[in-house]
Order: sequence, then structure tokens, then C-alpha cells
Amino acid sequence: MKLPAKRSVKAIPAILVLLVVGLGTTDGGWVRQTKRGDRLSRRPARILRVERPALRRGPRYAADRVLVRFKPAVADAYAEGLLRSYGFSSVRKIPRIGVYSVRTSPGASVAETLAMLRRNADIEQARPDYRARLADTPNDTFFIQYQYNLRNRGIVLDISDDIQPQTTAGADIKATPAWDAAKGDPEVVIAILDSGVDRTHPDLAAKVISPGRDFANDDEDATDDHWHGTHVAGVAAADSNNAEGIAGVAWNCKILPVKVAGADGTGFYSWIIDGIIWAADQGADVINLSLGGDFDDPFLEDACKYAFDRGVVVVASAGNDYGGPVLYPAAYDSYVLAVAATDYNDEPADFSSSGPQVDVAAPGVYILGPAPQWYVGEAYLPYLFASGTSQAAPHVSGMAALIKSLKPELKTADVMRIIRYTADDVNASVDRGRDDHIGYGRINMEKALVPYILK
Amino acid sequence: MRKRSGGAWRLISLGIALVLAAAHAPAAESKVKMLMAGLNFDHFSRTVVWDGDTGPSRLQASLVSARTDFGFGKGLTLSLSAGLSLTDFEGLAFGTLPIPLAYDASPIKGLVLGAELEALLLKYGDFEIKAAGRFVSSFGMSRTWPLEGFAVVGEAKGRSNWMEASAGPRLAYLLSDAFVPYLEVNARWLRADFRMEETLEDLQGHEKKLVKGDLSFSVALGGDTRVSDRLTIKAKAGLVPYAGGADVLASVGLLYMF
Repeated sequence: MKLPAKRSVKAIPAILVLLVVGLGTTDGGWVRQTKRGDRLSRRPARILRVERPALRRGPRYAADRVLVRFKPAVADAYAEGLLRSYGFSSVRKIPRIGVYSVRTSPGASVAETLAMLRRNADIEQARPDYRARLADTPNDTFFIQYQYNLRNRGIVLDISDDIQPQTTAGADIKATPAWDAAKGDPEVVIAILDSGVDRTHPDLAAKVISPGRDFANDDEDATDDHWHGTHVAGVAAADSNNAEGIAGVAWNCKILPVKVAGADGTGFYSWIIDGIIWAADQGADVINLSLGGDFDDPFLEDACKYAFDRGVVVVASAGNDYGGPVLYPAAYDSYVLAVAATDYNDEPADFSSSGPQVDVAAPGVYILGPAPQWYVGEAYLPYLFASGTSQAAPHVSGMAALIKSLKPELKTADVMRIIRYTADDVNASVDRGRDDHIGYGRINMEKALVPYILK
Repeated sequence: MRKRSGGAWRLISLGIALVLAAAHAPAAESKVKMLMAGLNFDHFSRTVVWDGDTGPSRLQASLVSARTDFGFGKGLTLSLSAGLSLTDFEGLAFGTLPIPLAYDASPIKGLVLGAELEALLLKYGDFEIKAAGRFVSSFGMSRTWPLEGFAVVGEAKGRSNWMEASAGPRLAYLLSDAFVPYLEVNARWLRADFRMEETLEDLQGHEKKLVKGDLSFSVALGGDTRVSDRLTIKAKAGLVPYAGGADVLASVGLLYMF
């Protein structure tokens, strides 16, 4: 392929190095296709969409109501009379469970009312009337059974006859409680700089905002001719709660495909440089780079700085070479979040590169994501399991997109700090504090997005 | 042992000094015809919607203050007070901080200053109508909470202020020298702010919550009871209705006449 003159010039100093794109073909990366109708369960589709009301703002419980249960020996008439003697303006019984809902006296706080009621020996329990929210668990087909990375309930990950690892409950990024606070703004765009994105995939079709840009073939069509970019895009922001396939981290955020790697899964630094600058100029809020090269290059760093200076959060995979150094551009510490991988037990993945530039980690082992139908074949569902820091990075990109959705005024550096400082130090028993394997720890979306309660 | 707030003690001292100064003032030589001093307890709740919030939350305040009443004759009375406040902010959320915070802590202490003016408008038989206006301002003390469970050390620091102005007519029935009941209707204007700062290592943010001016109306019943030649108890209780409920206010004071 002949490069245009302008791009050729840029490519020379950018070192004509074939990138080690984390395609699952590298040392630690694995790909597992999913046979159609075989392992993946087929749950009945539902068409319920969760319309979420406002965030958790305002009180956590009713300011003028409490719930009371009397001891079993207390007669109903006595109980009601007693409650009315406190001056409660409204007393309503929920007969099946013997609980009274009472409206507090004007001016009495819930805490005062509860303290008063709890002093009465006839009362078994007095509790606030807590506010509930719609449960933001997506109805995507494979969410419960396979997406341990988003919510891990300690399942057996039934991938194939010979791969059925037992996972550890809680070894996840706490996506479900975080979705209560934010599912993402459709105006927030994640640019996927990769092998392209399959825009026809049912879990991505509604999420891709444009055909994108193909710097590998120098055209305006960033269709995936590999599979990697489609998978990465889906992990970050697959169409969620659509009763189909998987849930993405950023439910409502959009995807901008930018093709910077060819069908062979490699790309030149110049393509990546062009891709980063183009995505930043297009107004992307987050750039995901599930790729990396071995060589430091000032032009690549300049491109990352260009995006950073324009308010773009740049996220890159650390690399799939255990014991090896962090790849570039992930190693550009000032401008890029370097993401290592953990597994379904919150252990550092045995393929993840390490170094002082590693910021955080995210699940990167047996991650289910979309894949082009032509790639997996007609006999298979268009999804596959893949492992690598390539799969870890889009979790962080999705999280960054949710933070930017909720707080668009935050500076890029602050978004990066939030992601770092809210991480769980899951290897604290062997390496307390920030370390070179998983940085500050495995990301925790709940800590970043759900209010911390001041006691 | 926790360190006591120097500001609080200074204010209490100021209140005591105010009362003592008033007590020793040469009343006869001035225009002050009557002088009373004592302690007052006030409590009120207000259901408000803070700017940026989608739902209401309740602000509750309890005040203990030293109070001095100056009577200038012809039904004109000025009351000055200074003391401490405890203000509770149930469920207040700070959603734009880098790490969002929700307030579920105990009430915040503050210093409170107040002034009340009462003027006789009309007297008809055993009834009299007065105009009463009151202004109270609470200056909250700073409070710090550690932020735990994060990868770096962090803390949140909050401070809150509020002020309430109320005015309206008071209809009193001059039942006897010992007891004068009254009915009071007030318009009440409340302004409150709560500034929260958050620091996690080099991640810093602040958010200021505001109630720019919440207007409500209250109805209260009260009475001034003369317990002896020198001692008077002033008490009042009322409701501040709003759509779907009512807030309350209550006040009781014990005053000594000089």
C-alpha cells in the first residue's frame, strides 16, 4: 500500500514499526469463539427499557415517614392506639407483614421519631422509609451468565467443556451500582482507535455515530476487517439493556470508529498519530487505544498531548508481555492512562505488562464482546471471549465516559485522578499501595460515581 | 478530649457581656423604658429545594441564645440575641464534586446572631395589633470528615451559613397582666449556603449549595407569661405549611426584668 506523500513524511520519523496490537494473538491474549446456540444461553427477550429518574440527589429516605413493627404479642388495636397517641397524623398498616407506615409529627425529624419509637418496649423495629431506585441491571442476554467483569456473583464461567473457571464474587468493576448514578450521555463519544468497528453488529449498530475514518487504507470507512476493534468497542459501549447480547460499560455513550490497524492487526505509529489528532478534532471525549508499540516516539507523545490538551481522556492498554515494560502510548504517563489486566478472581493477569506507568487495572481475562459475524462464521453467535490488556482498557474508557457524562466540567487530569484514586487495591496483601502490576488497583466505578456518605 | 471552638466561647462571652452591659446600663437616663435579659431556645424546620437538586430536603435548626429586650415605650421593643446553633441537613447531596458526597452526619454547629423589632400598630379594647420583624443569621463552624476507602488519603471539609428574616402582624389579647396570648402570621424568607471542599491528594474540588431565597408563611400561637414581678416566660409554636406537609417552629425564652 502506498502512503500519501504527507503521511509518508510523518511516518518516517515515527519509526516504521509494526505494532504489537493486543489482538489476543500476542503472548497472553486468547480468543475463544462462541458457538451459536451452544453455550450462550438464550433467555427470553424482554422489551422493558429502564428509564431512570434523577440521580441520587435529595434525601435517602422519606423525611416525614417511618416504618414500625410491633412485637408479635401486641394486639393491633393497642398498636394503632399507641401510634396515634404519639400524635402521628397518619397510621397505615401493611397487614401481610404486620408493619405500620406512619407519618411523623410535624417538625419531628425521622431520627428523633425513630429514637422515640425504639424506646418503646412493645416495638420490635422502627426504621426509616428508605428510598429505592429502579434496579439498573441490564436485560442483555449474556449479562448475568458471562459478564463477570461488570458484576461478579461468583459464577462458574462456562466457556467451553475444558474452560470453566470458578470466579470470585465481587471481582468486578462494580458497574451495576454505578449505573444507578450514570449510564452515560449520548453526547459523550468514545473514539475506538483500533482495527475498525463492525457497524452492522446488532449490539453496536445504534451506537456508532459515523463511518469514522480509516487511516490504514486512507478512506472514510472504518469498517473492521479484523475483529479486535469491534470487540473493544462493545466492551466500552455496546448497546445495553436492549435484551440482546452484552452490556457495555457506558450504556448510552456513542462510539466513533477510527481505523489505525490493518486486517493483519498491525498499524504504523503515523496512523495512530493521525487517528488521535483526528478523533480529538472530531470532538471525541475519550480515546481508547487497545494497542501499543515497543518504541518511545516523541511524535506519538505529542499526539497524546494534543488530545489531552483538548480535554480528551486517552486510555491505552499496558501490553500483554508479562514482565515486559509498558508499551507506548500507554507509557506516556502525563497524558495517557495505562491499563493492566486482572482476572475473574481479581488476580493480576499472568500476561499483563508492568511498570511504573501502569495507572490502574481492569478485568481482561475471558471478556465477552461482540465480533463480526463474518469472522466467527455463520455457525456462531457474533460474540467471542477474548483476553488481554486490550480488553481491560475499554472498561476504563467506558468509566471515563460515564464520569465525563456526569461531570462534563471536570478537567481531563481530574478524570484520570478519579479513576486512579477510586481503584481497589486488590493485590494489597502482596503489594500494598500503588504498584507496577496493577497501578492503584482494579477500577471501581461505584466509588467514582455513587455518592460517598459523610457520617 | 476534643478542642472546644474558641469562636463559640467568644460568642457566648459576647452574649453574656451584652446582657450584663444591658443590665448595668443607666436605663433611667436613656430612652430605654424597660430592660429584660435571659436565655432563649428556638427550633425550626424548613423543607427546601437546594439549587440543582431534583427533590426537597429538610433543614432543621436548634438555637440557644442569650437575649436582651429593650423597651422604648409606646409598644416599641428591640431584642438582640447571640448564641449557638445546631443545623441538620438531612440527605443533602454534593453531586458535582470529583467524588460525589451525600450528607448523613450529625448537625453542624454554628454561631448565631439575631435581632427582633416589635412595634404597636393598633390597640382596641383588650386587643392590640403589633408588627413584628425578626432577623437571625447562623455562621456555621467548619467541619472535617476523612474520606476512607480510597487509594489515597482524603478529606472533606464543610461549612454552612443560613439566615432567616420574618415579618408580620401579631394579634394579642390582653387577658391579664400575667398572661398575654397572641396569634402571629409571618412571611419567612430563608437563605442558606453550604460549601463543601474535597481533597484526595492532588484531586481537589469544591461545591456550593444554595437556597437563594425560599419564601414561606407561618402561623403561630404564643404567649407571654409573667411568672413573677421579674420573671417572664415567652413561648411560641407554629406551623409553616408547604405543599404536602408542614414544617414547625417553636420558641421558648426565660427573661429577667431589670
